[in-house]
Order: sequence, then C-alpha cells, then structure tokens
Amino acid sequence: MTQHSTGTSITFDRATKTYPGAAVPALDALDLEVEAGELVCLVGPSGGGKTTALQLVNRLVDLTSGDIRIGDRSITDQSAIALRRTIGYAIQQSGLFPHYTVADNIATVPVVLGWDKARIRTRTAELLELVGLSPVETWLPRYPAQLSGGQQQRVGIARALAADPPVMLMDEPFGALDPITRVAVQDEFLAIHRAVGKTTLFVTHDIDEAIKMADRIAILKPGGKLAQFDTPANVLSDPADDFVAEFLGAERGLKRLALTTVGEIVTAGTTGAKAATTDGARPSTTGWPDVEATMTLREALSVVSAARADGAIVHSDGSRLGEVSLHDLIAPPAAGEDREGVRA
Amino acid sequence: MSDFAPAGDPVIPDYGQASDCVINNGAFCTDWFLSQWSTVFWPPLVSHIVMVAIAVSIGFVIAFGAGLLAYRKKWLAGPIGMAATFLYTLPPLALFQLLVPFTGLSLLTVEIALVCFTLIIIFQAVLVGLSGVPDDVRRAATGMGLDRNQLLFKVELPLALPSIISGLRIATVLTVSIATIAAFVVDDGLGSPIIKAVSSPFNTQFVGAGALAVLLAFALDGLLVLLGRVLTPWTKARS
Repeated sequence: MTQHSTGTSITFDRATKTYPGAAVPALDALDLEVEAGELVCLVGPSGGGKTTALQLVNRLVDLTSGDIRIGDRSITDQSAIALRRTIGYAIQQSGLFPHYTVADNIATVPVVLGWDKARIRTRTAELLELVGLSPVETWLPRYPAQLSGGQQQRVGIARALAADPPVMLMDEPFGALDPITRVAVQDEFLAIHRAVGKTTLFVTHDIDEAIKMADRIAILKPGGKLAQFDTPANVLSDPADDFVAEFLGAERGLKRLALTTVGEIVTAGTTGAKAATTDGARPSTTGWPDVEATMTLREALSVVSAARADGAIVHSDGSRLGEVSLHDLIAPPAAGEDREGVRA
Repeated sequence: MSDFAPAGDPVIPDYGQASDCVINNGAFCTDWFLSQWSTVFWPPLVSHIVMVAIAVSIGFVIAFGAGLLAYRKKWLAGPIGMAATFLYTLPPLALFQLLVPFTGLSLLTVEIALVCFTLIIIFQAVLVGLSGVPDDVRRAATGMGLDRNQLLFKVELPLALPSIISGLRIATVLTVSIATIAAFVVDDGLGSPIIKAVSSPFNTQFVGAGALAVLLAFALDGLLVLLGRVLTPWTKARS
C-alpha cells in the first residue's frame, strides 16, 4: 500500500468534449479526481462518453473546454507525444504489434525513450515475471499470434507498464476475453495494481467488473454527464438516481454481496454461527456444504442454495475456519466496509 | 547471329552438323538450344532481366510514394487510382506507338511503357497493406507515444509488407511477360528471338525463348516469396 505513492493523481476539471458536427457533448463538464494510486472504473452505457473521457487524458481526443491535470500539471503543458510516453495505455484486443515479438512489444516505449539495451532487457524480464509469464525465456521470442487471448492481454499490461508510468489508462482491456480467462486476468491485474500502485483509469461496460476492480466507480450517463462517483459499496447500497439504479440492475443486492468474502466475515467474528459456537449451543451443520474462505458471499450463497442447506462450512488452506449461516450470507454486517478500511 | 531467318518456309540454320531434330524442325531440339545458348538465348535473357528490374524498381518507387501519399491524404486515393488504372488499360503496342514519336525506338520508350503497367498493381498493394493495419494496433501505437514517422516505419509499413510483396510479385510476373513485346521497339529481351523465330518459323528458338520467359517469371516470383518470408517472420509463426 505504501507503494501507492508512486502514482500521481488525475484531475478532470470541467472536462468537455463535443465532437465536430455533434449537437450534444460526448462528455459534459466532467469533474473527477482520481487519487494517487487509486483504481477508478468508468462505466456507463454506450454514448456515455467513458472512452472519450479516457482518450482525453492521453490526448488521443482533444478537449473542447475545461482541463485535465496529471499531478498538478495540465496535459496541455507538453506535446501529446511526450505526454503519452508517460502514460501506460492498454486496450481491448491488447493492440499488440503482430510483427513484434513479446520482448519487442514490451520494449516499445523504452526504445523510443532511448533506454540502453541492458536496461530494457532487465525491465522486460521483470515485467513478464510480474504478469505471470515465466520462465521469461520461453515467452520473449514469441509472436502475439502464438499466445492465447489471456496471455496477449498480460503482455499488453506489461507493455503499458514498461516505462514505469505513474498513470495507467485501460480501455476495456479484458472485454474480448472468455469469462474464465477474464476472471483470472482480472485477479492478476488487481494483484499487480496493489503491488505497483499505478493510478489507474479503467473503462468497462461490465458493471460486475467495475464492482470487482474499482476503488471507486464513476457512472456516466448518456450526454456525457457524471451520474455518480463513489465506492462500489456506496453505489450499490445508495444509487444516486433512477438511472444508476436501473444501470446496476435488479441484482444490485446480490452484486453487493460480491464485495465481501466469506473469509472476511468469519474472521471479523460477526457471524451468528460462530457466536453460537462460543455459547456452546452449536446449531446443526449437518449437510452444510464446504466453501473456500476466498469465495464471495454471493458465490457462497449460490453454493448453499444449490445444496438446499441453511449455511456453509468455511475452509481456508484445508483447515476449517468456521461456519456461516444463510442469514449471515444474505444480511452481512456492512458489506464492503472492510475493504474500504483497507483502501483508506 | 540471330537474324538468320527470312520469312517463308522453315529455314534450317546451317551451323555445320545439323541433327535430325533440327532438320525436321522438331518442337524443341536440346542440342541446338545448348549449342546456341551463349549467342541466341543468354544475351536476350540478361537484357530481359535488366529491363524487368529497371521497370519494377522505378514502378515501385513511384507507386510506393503515391501509395503513401494517398494513405496520408485520402482524397488523393481516387484520382491517383484512376490515373494508374487508365495507364494499365492501354494496350502495350498502342502505348509504344504513342511514345515512339517522342522517345524513339529506345529502351526509354520500353521502360516508360513497362513502368506504366506496374503502377496500379503496386499502388493498390501499398494502399491496401497500409489500410489493413488493424485499428487497435494503430491506436495502441499512437496512445503509447509513437510519432507519425515511428508509426509509419515501426508499425504500418512492416504490417503492410505482405500485401506490398504480393503486389510486387504480380507486377514482376506481368512485366516479365509484357517485356517480350518490347522487341517491337528494341532488339532486346527474350521477345527478340521469339519474334524472329515466329517469322521463320523455327520451333526451337521461340519455344526455348518462350520457356525461358516463363522460367524467369517463376524464378523472380520465387525470389520475392523468399524475400517476403525473410522480411515477415511473424506471418509464419504459429503456436
């Protein structure tokens, strides 16, 4: 967490973009502050301006009015080319260069920045390790066509991190992956994000992905207006308006359960089942299914429902951690609060 | 040496001991072909290669430049394409006729005509290749801070190479073929022994020269395929 200081804040100051010939702005006076080290997801329906907002930051799209600052420096203070070389950029389909090997792809920005070869080699190897592609020697000489979608996306992330930029922009980076690969890459990226602490602006159309990844979620509505900017827990428990409530969908309550793991509520000692155990009046756990401590309440609830049981037994690394009752699962004490505490 | 054959009946060139094949004007007489190789076939083959090399090289430079220009300034693609297509549709012999008053019965006349026929093929190949670069690749490259020239030389041109090479292959094979007609203008290239043998008509000479033109086309095509493999190793990479 201390490494979060390597990031730099991104501030949108009434950032507005109206495309030529368009009657209404794609992004309308967006005020948003992404704190140093924070991961903010931009979500919303198509036409909400989320990709526009992202591309304004690295000047792939030019501001109509307003300003964007990285740290305390306006993005217009330097040339677009120089600015972009200080910002990590990862996109859907990875955007890897098909004619470059993995090594050359990752080295793209270091090469244009004029790093020496030894430094580039060291950095490339380090990044491949970081994104879980090891032993690095087997991956360096491959071409993107020789990688799976998930592996390409990992290389795309490594490439975005190559020159150690303080800020990362990610445009639906996992949008093209199959669900299983997507979950794996999401988990890896979260681990990397926690380790390297880059300030990250992450565009996704998938609200579940945003809930899982984001420290805070910015929901944009058609016309490019910011509907709500808050933590996933707060957005889910207290949508700002009907648009946000509708966007989150009827499963909003269930989604909220995905913010907490069973391990968290068991170790926090807030489960009724555990309390009952200490009283000695242990309820019958016969027929309760086993769940892993790393499962979310939502997943555990699914397991319990499938087993037609009243609760589940929680395991961690093979040892029994405790029990959670059905009631614990559906009415957890302040879901997501724990995570908030960690972030702050 | 090669202007031995007046029109009319088959005239058997008298080079001393003629074989049965030569006397009967067989379809292809290997002995005669080999004995005449250094005088009848080799010099036209060399001049043919030179003619083709010059035409394709100049055509490539012009069409490549035009392709880049049309890629940067999209509105130019239409007019340039139309002009190049017009040149391509001209019958080669008519084009020679048109040029001779200005450039004479010279290699220059031939080269101008040959270059005209390569332009649309290479131009299209360059334009298609550059336009075929995936958008996400271009966006990623721009987003990472590559400037315009870096984008062109590091990303767009390499990715356009397969298309450019295939355009060069077609242009080369076509030029090898059309260059035989150059013999109407200059006494050069493989067309020269063919035309002379057609009027004689002595089979081995035009069959041999024609076969050489075909083989030359295959050989140059093969060389370009090899060049393409060397320059685009990623296209062969499979997991």
